[in-house]
Amino acid sequence: MTQVEVGLWAQLVLALATVSVAVLARPALRARLAGVGAAALGVAGAVTGVLALTGGQGRLVIPLALPVDPVVLSPTPLGGFFMVVAGAVGAVAAVYAIGYVHGPSASASSWAALATFLLGMQLVPAAADAVSFLLAWELMAAASTVLVLTEHRERLEVRSAALWYAVMTHLSFLLILLGFAVLAAAGHGTSFAAMSHVDPASASTSLAFVLLVLGFATKAGIVPMHVWLPRAHPAAPSHVSAVMSAAMVKMGVYGVLLVVLQLLPAGRPWWGLVLLAFGTVSAVYGILQASVATDLKRLLAYSTTENVGLMFLAIGAGVLLRSYGVVGPAEVAAGTALLLVASHAAFKTTLFLGAGSVLHATGLRDLDRLGGLGKRMPTTAATFGVGALGAAALPITCGFVAEWALLQSLIHGARPEDRLVAVVMPVAVAVVALTAGLALMTFVKAYGIAFLARPRGPEAGTAHEGPATMRVALVVSAVAVVGLGLVPGIMATAVVRAVGLGGIDVFGVAGLGLPGVGAALDPVALTGLALLVAIPVLVVTWRMARRRPSRPVDLAWGGGGVRVSPRMQYTATSYAEPLSRVFDDALRPERDLEITHAGESRYLVERVQFRQQLEDVVEVRAYVPAVRLVDRVGLAARRLQNGSIHRYLAYSFVALIAVLIVVSL
Amino acid sequence: MTPVLFAELVAFCAGVLLLTGVLIVWRRELRAIVRLLAVQGVALAVLVAVIGIDAHLPELVAVALLVLVLKGFVLPVVLGRVAGPAGPGRVETPMINTTASLILLALLTTLAYLVSQPLKAAGSGPTAAAVPIGLALVLFGFLVLATRRHAISQLVGFLMLDNGIAAVAFLIAGGVPLVVELGASLDLLLVVLVLQVLTGRIRAEFGDLDLDDLSELRD
Repeated sequence: MTQVEVGLWAQLVLALATVSVAVLARPALRARLAGVGAAALGVAGAVTGVLALTGGQGRLVIPLALPVDPVVLSPTPLGGFFMVVAGAVGAVAAVYAIGYVHGPSASASSWAALATFLLGMQLVPAAADAVSFLLAWELMAAASTVLVLTEHRERLEVRSAALWYAVMTHLSFLLILLGFAVLAAAGHGTSFAAMSHVDPASASTSLAFVLLVLGFATKAGIVPMHVWLPRAHPAAPSHVSAVMSAAMVKMGVYGVLLVVLQLLPAGRPWWGLVLLAFGTVSAVYGILQASVATDLKRLLAYSTTENVGLMFLAIGAGVLLRSYGVVGPAEVAAGTALLLVASHAAFKTTLFLGAGSVLHATGLRDLDRLGGLGKRMPTTAATFGVGALGAAALPITCGFVAEWALLQSLIHGARPEDRLVAVVMPVAVAVVALTAGLALMTFVKAYGIAFLARPRGPEAGTAHEGPATMRVALVVSAVAVVGLGLVPGIMATAVVRAVGLGGIDVFGVAGLGLPGVGAALDPVALTGLALLVAIPVLVVTWRMARRRPSRPVDLAWGGGGVRVSPRMQYTATSYAEPLSRVFDDALRPERDLEITHAGESRYLVERVQFRQQLEDVVEVRAYVPAVRLVDRVGLAARRLQNGSIHRYLAYSFVALIAVLIVVSL
Repeated sequence: MTPVLFAELVAFCAGVLLLTGVLIVWRRELRAIVRLLAVQGVALAVLVAVIGIDAHLPELVAVALLVLVLKGFVLPVVLGRVAGPAGPGRVETPMINTTASLILLALLTTLAYLVSQPLKAAGSGPTAAAVPIGLALVLFGFLVLATRRHAISQLVGFLMLDNGIAAVAFLIAGGVPLVVELGASLDLLLVVLVLQVLTGRIRAEFGDLDLDDLSELRD
């Protein structure tokens, strides 16, 4: 038995053990035991992933009672990369959950579902054929639906969120199933090896590509299939949202990479354009919605859509450039998608866990009622700040490294000789730049409003830091954000092995080199240089400041000092107001102005009431009519089913007669 | 047995099967329907016995005895007990009127003759010629199931459907192996016994066996 096989077995055994512990243990011990089990499961996944990445081979065949082929697990290096991401995120979230869970999220079913969810997610990238892939995928989808439903008794909106999630996730399953079915029919086999022999130029391959990409994009939260994300993430407990956002949506990205790198490596140019279009629209739309969101977890959910959009953009650029023979930048773009995956996993885990701490302490997700948490929750504030830096793609974080590599590949990919590429690449660069700018504003808002200034409500004023396990998990994930940013060489090595292409290597000690486009980045050296420049400036400033009388800063982000009422401070809504004005046509906020006049006078105003509501345009314009249509069809279909036994018997009678007539013809 | 006698006996039994089927649809009184079903069961048993004697198969004669006991006596007696004594409440009110039912029967018989052409081609002689009757019985049984309100009528429809299937099986293939026939008969007996208990409970709860009233239980 090879090491990878041992790792796979360990995951299965640990998942089983965790589920049994969750069901059997006393409630007082359950969180600790099941949490440790789930964390061990995550670590086992990450270790197996590392083994697969470093060239470990292994093949686990599990026969089923069903009349289908046995489940075959045999992770490739690419799958190994995603196993590492899923396992690491799962382990951190499980440790966090030990301190975080309370009420329904501490129940036996919730812990059992978490272990099942982690197992399913870690086995998706290990699958070696379509049937095993779909089984693991469904395990992941079903368990995560149970987790989204956790608080269905306390909050009514959770039910509707879980319904949306269940429908969308099964739509995704259906599309992937159809896509694999088309490929399996063309390739005469359900194993990925058989599927990769299909003719890439045939129409059925293109159909399979479209179906698979739509399915994976639905899971990844790509616009316009993103509607479940901003519902499911606020509904789920925070450690679950962290895993869903940082690891589960990445399985959609893994699926797309599986298609374009392993199953159908000889892609057509328009495939790249489709992926690019999905990516561009999602990136801009996601970050726009995030920038005006006031619910912290909704904001993070939309930011996930943006980041997944960037990943699709990178993959699309890779496919497009490769089909035009621009090899270097194409390889860099494909590798960059994985850099984005790793960095997003790190900072989104930090941010969701931080949001969980805020929720744990205040019971609030509404930014407009938070504030001043920095003093009361220093660990959460510091780690959330690091995560926000990462999400805003600022230097010394991994977000910066990934977006830098993406921009490098896009800029160097522009070739004037191919008209299409010459037009598409600059547009993509502009989109990335726009999203980077908006992301900066979004996370300045998220951090500044929640953690600085004075509390805007009584809940924020009495906040306190959570238990030690929560803080440990937060610190670990924040260290990962900075660590991957300072020594991106680790990611570079992993990415090169996972993608199996050149274009990226380790520069210097642990920097990131992009020989494909002739660029390099060594964050440690740059940080050293920056410190060398900054230290004299700091020293001089400090000396000058000492000479002058000190200016006490009473309140950072207080907007000019202590106001009469905390409600007069900047809020998330007011901070985003200019943005929502500029992007009025894209966001379409619903504004309602009501003026009550004093008596008969037209000039004296007694009261002005202003309401503004931001809804998801895609949802209102596309999904609401679609749901209404389905509703109408459903109601019409109900007339067939009126519960009368005679009617049902008559249906079978008529069917029998019809069959008899058809047979005799 | 001479071929002529055999042909006449088979035709006679098939004719009785068809006639009882039509009469079951025509009559409304539940006790009369159950009696007709008993006659049908006896006809089926005689048919099986005739086929068995003609082919010199003692096994088939044993099956005929089994059919006679089960379909000619046990099941009608059980059903008669459920139906209770004759009275004003023991009359079926079908969902479509008798005339329409009889017209439908004619159409179904025609259909049965049309669609059983390939079946008739499979065999030859008097048994093959009677195959459409078995198929027609299946369709009659289904019609009774779909258009009758009373629980007893539903059971009768189900049993007639089974009679039709059995008739087709005996006419085409000389019956199924004894073990299968035993199993199927036992199944049938159990179904009727369970439904007897069930209808007893329904009557105790609701005072009636009209299935339309039961649909109110939904929601």
